[in-house]
Formats: sequence, C-alpha cells, structure tokens
Amino acid sequence: MTDITINREEVLRYLGGADTKPDSSMYALLDECEKELSDAAAAKYLYKKVKLADSGLLLGEDIKKHLAGCEFGYAVCATLGASVDRLIRSAQISDMAKAVVLDAMASAAVESVCAQVDEIIADENKGKYLTWRFAPGYGDYPIELQQKLLTMLDAPRKIGLCASSEYLLTPSKSVTSVLGVSESPVEAGRRGCAVCNMAKTCKFRKAGTRCEF
Amino acid sequence: MNFRECLKNDFIILDGATGTMLQKSGLKLGEIPETLNITRPEVVKKIHKDYIAAGTQIITTNTFGANRYKMKDSGFSVEELIGAAVRNARDAADGKALVALEIGPIGQLLEPAGSLSFDEAYDYFREEILAGTDVDVIFFETFTDLSEVKAGVLAAKENSDKPVVVSMTFEGNGRTFAGVSVASAALTLEGLGVDAVGVNCSLGPDELTPIVEEFTKWTNLPVFVKPNAGLPDPNSNTYNVLPEDFARSMSRIIDFGSVKLVGGCCGTTPEYIEKLTEVVKTKKYKKAEHNKDTAVCSATTVVELSEPRIIGERINPTGKKLFKEALKNNDIDYILSQAISQVNAGADILDVNVGLPEIDEKQMMVRVIKALQSVVDVPLQIDSTKPEVIEAALRIYNGKPIVNSVNGEEKSLASVLPLVKKYGASVIGLTLDENGIPKTAEGRFKIAERIVNRAKAIGINPKDVYIDCLTLTVSAEQEGCEQTLTALKRVRDELGCKTCLGVSNISFGLPNRELVNHIFLTMALQNGLTLPIINPNDEAMTGAVMAYKVLANIDKNSVKYIEKYNNAKPEKPKVISSRVTLDDAVISGLKNEASGLTNNLLKDTDAMKIVNEILIPALDKVGADFEKGRIFLPQLIQSANTAQVCFDEIKKHLTKTDGAPVSKGKIILATVKGDIHDIGKNIVKVLLDNYGYTVVDLGRDVEPQLVVDTAIEQNIRLIGLSALMTTTLGSMEDTIALVRNTEGLESCKIMVGGAVLTPEYAEKIGADYYCRDAKESVDTAKTVFGS
Repeated sequence: MTDITINREEVLRYLGGADTKPDSSMYALLDECEKELSDAAAAKYLYKKVKLADSGLLLGEDIKKHLAGCEFGYAVCATLGASVDRLIRSAQISDMAKAVVLDAMASAAVESVCAQVDEIIADENKGKYLTWRFAPGYGDYPIELQQKLLTMLDAPRKIGLCASSEYLLTPSKSVTSVLGVSESPVEAGRRGCAVCNMAKTCKFRKAGTRCEF
Repeated sequence: MNFRECLKNDFIILDGATGTMLQKSGLKLGEIPETLNITRPEVVKKIHKDYIAAGTQIITTNTFGANRYKMKDSGFSVEELIGAAVRNARDAADGKALVALEIGPIGQLLEPAGSLSFDEAYDYFREEILAGTDVDVIFFETFTDLSEVKAGVLAAKENSDKPVVVSMTFEGNGRTFAGVSVASAALTLEGLGVDAVGVNCSLGPDELTPIVEEFTKWTNLPVFVKPNAGLPDPNSNTYNVLPEDFARSMSRIIDFGSVKLVGGCCGTTPEYIEKLTEVVKTKKYKKAEHNKDTAVCSATTVVELSEPRIIGERINPTGKKLFKEALKNNDIDYILSQAISQVNAGADILDVNVGLPEIDEKQMMVRVIKALQSVVDVPLQIDSTKPEVIEAALRIYNGKPIVNSVNGEEKSLASVLPLVKKYGASVIGLTLDENGIPKTAEGRFKIAERIVNRAKAIGINPKDVYIDCLTLTVSAEQEGCEQTLTALKRVRDELGCKTCLGVSNISFGLPNRELVNHIFLTMALQNGLTLPIINPNDEAMTGAVMAYKVLANIDKNSVKYIEKYNNAKPEKPKVISSRVTLDDAVISGLKNEASGLTNNLLKDTDAMKIVNEILIPALDKVGADFEKGRIFLPQLIQSANTAQVCFDEIKKHLTKTDGAPVSKGKIILATVKGDIHDIGKNIVKVLLDNYGYTVVDLGRDVEPQLVVDTAIEQNIRLIGLSALMTTTLGSMEDTIALVRNTEGLESCKIMVGGAVLTPEYAEKIGADYYCRDAKESVDTAKTVFGS
C-alpha cells in the first residue's frame, strides 16, 4: 500500500471555476474531503517489464507510433481500492457537493500513484528514456486491452483490480497503461489533445486553456 | 475415508501451490494453466503425485480459474476443463488422497463495486460444481468479496451434497480488498453451514498469524490455513521464506488451536509440504477457547450483542406519507438518506421494512437491501411478514442479518425458522401466537421458550434468537408495562437470550409521549433489554441508551459518552438575519437560512411567485456564474441543494393549503446498461430537482426496456441518458432505438450526455439534445417543457 498525494490545482481545475480563486468555505470542503479520501484510500499498484514484440500489447497504430524504437516496455496498473468508490457513492446520497470534490480528488490521487510508479521504473532504467503512459482507450488503442493488461499483471488476485464485461475498471478509481523504455531520447512533453477522446467537447479547449494531459 | 471422517483426525495436510509448480514445469507466459488438464495431463498428475508423496492428504484440482468468464478464450468448455482436471486428480490420488474441487473468484467484481449480479455469480459457480461432481469436498479459495463467495456456497449447497470449505484472502490490515473483516467472514460463513473456514494467499505465515488468531476467536469451525512462502520479490517473483522456516511458523499458528487444515499457497512446493508434515506429526489438535457473544454483521462491520445496541426503525412506511411516496416512486435515494441520518445519529443496526400493498415488496426489498449495503456499513434487520420476501433478502444480504420476525404460531415457526437456519441469520421471536398476545409475563415467557426450543431443534444456536416481549400501550392497559418488564428479565435470566422491544408504542394516546418513552426505555434497559427499536434521530432516546451504558459500567471511563457530548456543537440558532434575502441564501448555499426565509415569505407571497421570481432566477445566476468559471461545481450544487430545501418548504405549504403541485414536468434519468459510473447523472438530477422538475431516477446499469416501460407508465415527455465510456455508447444507441420504435412514445424527447459523447455522435444515434453539462440539461428541460 502506498500513500496518496493530491494536487489541489488539478482538483480545482476538474471542478470548474477557471476564472476564480476558491473562498474559505471551498478550502474547508477541500480539507474535509482530503482527510476522508486519505483514510479510505488503499492505493496499490503493479508493474511488469515486458518484451514489447512478444507482449500482444501492440494493437492499433497509435501505440506502435508511441512505442516506436522501444524494445522493452512496462505494463502498469494502479487503484485506490473499493472503499473510495463506497465513500463517493455514500457522499452522493448525503452531500452531492462533497461527492464531486471527492470524485475529482480521487482522480487526481490515482494519477499521483502512477507518477510514483513512473519514478520507480525510471530508477530501474537509469541512463535510458521512458515514454509517457499510454492507456487503452487513447486514440485507436483498444479498450479491450484492459483485460489483457490486468491478466498479465495478475491484478485481480494481487490488488483486487478487475474489469467488467464492458471493460470498465472496478474499483473505478484505477488505471492501466503501457510505457516504453528507449535507448535514445523520446519526444518529451505532453500527451496532448491529439489522442484525447474528449478533444471535441473539452471545456478547457473551449475556454482556450488545456489540461495537463 | 470421506472428508467429514477426515476432520476427526488431528490435522489434515493439504497441498502447496499449483501455479508455482506449473510454471516450473514450463507453463508459457500467457498460457492458461487450466488448459494443461487437457493438453498436458501428465504434468498436472505429476504435481499431484509429488504433493501426495510429500504428505498431502487432500489434493486440489487444477481448476482455480476454470469458470466460464475466465475460460472464454481458452478453446475449451468449463465441463471439459473441470472434467479432465478431476480425472487427473483421481488418477494421481489412486485412493491414497482425497480430491478437492478447487474454485477461485470469477475475476469480475460483483455489484455494487462492479456490475456482475449475485445471480450471475451463482450461475458461474453452479456450472463449475456440476462439472466436477466426482470429488470429496469443494474448496473455495482466495476470495476477497464475501458476497461472491456466498453465491458460491449457496450454489454448492443447492447443487451438490459435498462438504464445503471456504478460505478468504486478507491484507496485513486484517481486511480483504473489498473491506471484509475476519470476524464478518467467520460469522457469515459459519452461518451458511460450511465445514471449515480460513485464510490463504497474500502473506507469509508470520504475517498471517494475527489474522488466523482473529479467525479462531470468531468461529467454532475447524480453521484452514494456506500461507504463501513469505512475500514475493516484485521483480523475480520469488518468495522469501524457506521450507524449514515455513514449517516452524506454521507450528506456532497451530498452537493457537482450532487450526486443522494446513498447506501452502503461492511459492510453496512439495518440499514445503514435506517439512510441514514432519512438524505436524509432533502436534496435537486442540480447539481454541473464545467467549464471543452472539453477533450480527455486514461484510465490514460486526455488532456484538454483549451490550445494548440501537436498532433504527425509520426505514418503514407505516404512518409515513413521504416514505410511502418514495416507495411508490422508486425513490431509493430518499430511503438511503433515511439510513445515513440514522447511522449518523447512533443506530447500530437498521430495520428495513418496505411493505406496501401497491408495490412488489420482494423486488423492492432486494433493491433496497443492495442499495443500503452499498452506502452504510451497519448490519441490517430484514423486516417482513412474507417468507418469500425474507428469503429473497436473505439470499443477497452480505453478512449475517437479523430476521424480523418469527412468532409462536405454528405457521410462522414452520416457514420462517428453516430460512433463518439455511442462511445463517439471527431472528427476532415475538411472544405472541394463534391466541394473540398473552396478558401475563408467564404467558409470554412460555411462548419465548417454545420459539427457542423449536429453533434449537432445527440447529439454530439459541443465542441467535432475540426475544421481543412486546410493548403494550400503557394508556389502554396500565398493568401491561410491568408484565413486559418481568418477561424481559425472565427471558434474559432463564433462557439466556437477548431481547428487543419496539419502545414508542408504550406512550400512544398520552400527552408528552417523549417523556414516557424515555423513562420506559430506561426501565427496560435496567430489566435486560438488549435491542431497543427506536428512532435514533430522537436525541433523548439515543442519549438515554448512551447514559445507561455509563451507569451500567459498560462504556468504560465514559469514553463514548464524553466523546459525543463534549464535542457536541450547539445547534445553530434559527435566527434569520434581516440582511440576508432568499436569493442571497440560495446563491451562497445557506440551507438553514433559506428554509426560514421561505416560510416567512409564504405567509404573504404566492408560492409560484417565490419559485418563478426568486428561486429560479437565483439558480440561473449561479448557473451562469458556473459557466463563466466564476464559481466551482460544488458551489453550484450547494446552491441547488439550498433551493431544494425551499422547494420542500413550498411543497409542504401547498399540501397543507391544497395548492397545485409545483412540478414543472417529469423527466426520466438513467445511466445506460453496462455503465456503472453515475456521478454525472446524479449531478444532473440535483439540478433538475431544484429547478422544480420531478425526476424519475432509474439508477445505473439500466435495461433499455425499463426506460421504455417507465416512460409509458408515467407518461414521460423527456428522457435523459448518460454514458461515460465508449464501450457503453452502444447501449445508449440501443435505448434510443427502443424508445423510437415504441408506440405511444412518438412525442418523447431524449437528451444525452457523458464524457465521451460529442454533439455529432448524439445526433447520429438519434438523440434530440446533447447536453455538455448539468446546466445544459436544465436548459433542455426548459425548452421541452416551455418553462
């Protein structure tokens, strides 16, 4: 189990309010939610080095482009655990305002767990270069690969992370992804809007800003 | 020798890991281990034989994942894989060892965490059990969800006569991934009539030690222990405990007592079993002593009845207009909010009664129990007069519940007690029978005795029968109170049973009922009442129980009492600042002020005028601020919830004055089939509610047919559908198509929303409106309903 950290700026971005600063009651709500979320979260992750050519993970054009030049890669998954889902569900009954804050925070928190995994993998690959994490559902990378990644990592048994018949991850505050290890520098920077499914309706783009994706 | 005879031995040696051995035998990456039963039977048989040679007395078939879901791409059917696995095991055992059918988790999460239903899980397990009949015992191993393994145990018990052993997997914090506690697992599984319970996997023997110890405190059954060979190295996947050390640690675990079935899980090999066998030979089995009182539980929380516990009575339509309305309208959220407020007020257990002539009680009970268990942790009491409703609830209940109730009538005893036994519940026994309620304590005691004896005769632990000595109205029968109290005392002292009472009936017809209720409750506690059934939101009643626990030396050092009352915040005075207006209150989300201000205005202002000229414009302003990024989403919701308080006051006022209802139109909301992410839909609901629309919320994972049926039945003009994932957009399309092809719904409009939707896609699948966010759904409703 690992500790979670929560990037408040990211949380506030999820919650709208691009044109304002939170007032004291918003801060109080954020504090309250952060404590409850930290108590409920049981963050866990798994990662596994794979030889990409034999992995069965290279489906579609986007992932091949993304991992071009990488011989090895890592399958990664992370979850905050089932209690977080329960906390958010319960808040939806008793206090919806709190529920949306918890939901946004949990999304930020699972991202922070992945960032920790990135660091561990970077440590194991000193002198090499890592691509960013590419997840099933980005671009043309099939969502069905959720299941394959989970099986490969033995995630249902080891950290209680499963996929439903519709390939939704359960518990819901979870991610799976693939990243590549390259001998030469990879194009750094952000994933960007090009592979994002939300590009057409994104409220950040409409407002002329972008998220950190 | 069969399994149950085997249990008479001091110990039973199980096998070690199968997966580890298959990998050593050359299982390829990505190869499905269960297929080796057919493709390379000699490898599987060799593993079994090696374990038997090392001392294993029961080998487990190579079928851990052999369910239809996990095997869908294996190229073989469940029957083929399990059939071959059982034959391999029988061949290898050659009469020298027993064979256990190994069943692991399905690999999908059950509701509410996932979308797999209890009945679907049951079917998966039934298939496995029917495919593997030639075995001596069924082992369920490595489960983390109590509800899933309950489906498995029921499937085993109802489709096979083999003994059943259940082992769950716990983390170092003593809970499974799903949050199940050791005590909850022990109580629930023993109740379901399994032959042994225990733990396997996740940790090495030393780390498992405290978990095993906890198990032995909560069960009378033999305990099963199969640790890993220590903890794995994440890179090399090797384990850090050697066979000798493994055996030494297991020897310490055995010394707790009750541990009878021992073996190994991940990383263990025949060498580990050999060392374990040597150590076990030097030991003698003993049963662990424990003095746990009768208890009930949910999957996460155990309530031991060693002291008075409050049963919350508010989930019950009797005499509650709003509750009846909620049941008729399928408003599950209203019921859940009642549950949460009772738990926050101090309820230890919640009574659940949803009986109403106009509704399908069985269907509603199942729905409500599932929904309650997804948001509250306290154990529940299933309250119905119909055995078929009780049974449906007992099947899906996650934990050990209380059944309310059985009574001394033959019909009741014969129909209710077998259900209590089969599903391992506790039960309330009412001291009345064919002849009504006996006037005397003696008469009621006799019935209590009869109920307890009947329960005992069919194998129910008499401690799991809680006797209700019945509260009569003191204004009608003043001598009755003393009879009730005497009966309580006798049941406690002579039968050794726990007791319960519905308290408030005592004061019916008297003024200042609270005072009488309060004093009667105190008298009853003093006479042995364990389970007062009360309204926990009534501060004086909950407080009386807390104070009693201080005076009776139960709440040691008054810790809980001090915690509650020292930190009690003084209630906010309901003084309305003359400077705050109603629109300010809505915009700033000041609920308390808003309710008072609304009532003040209602004295001299038309209700619809308040709605149209104050509330809606205030909400519009907040909505516009949100769109422009001037406020955050939670602030928008707080304003909406504040407006809800105002609408509620207005509704109350109109009901009193027979005014027209304020609903501006009825809208269905549903998250489509297959999708379980519903927070977006719920935000939309809050906003629509507070703009004065009536929302029929069908929930998440909703069948297209249910949307259509509801739309016809309730004459709906606008349907809102949400889907979060690309994979569930297909269900959205199907739902829209079904609405379009249904006669009578020609004029029904459909709005859609969700993260991955675009306006173009919405149009393509035939939706009338695309809503980017909750605010736009309100705009759409205004367009459709013209206000």
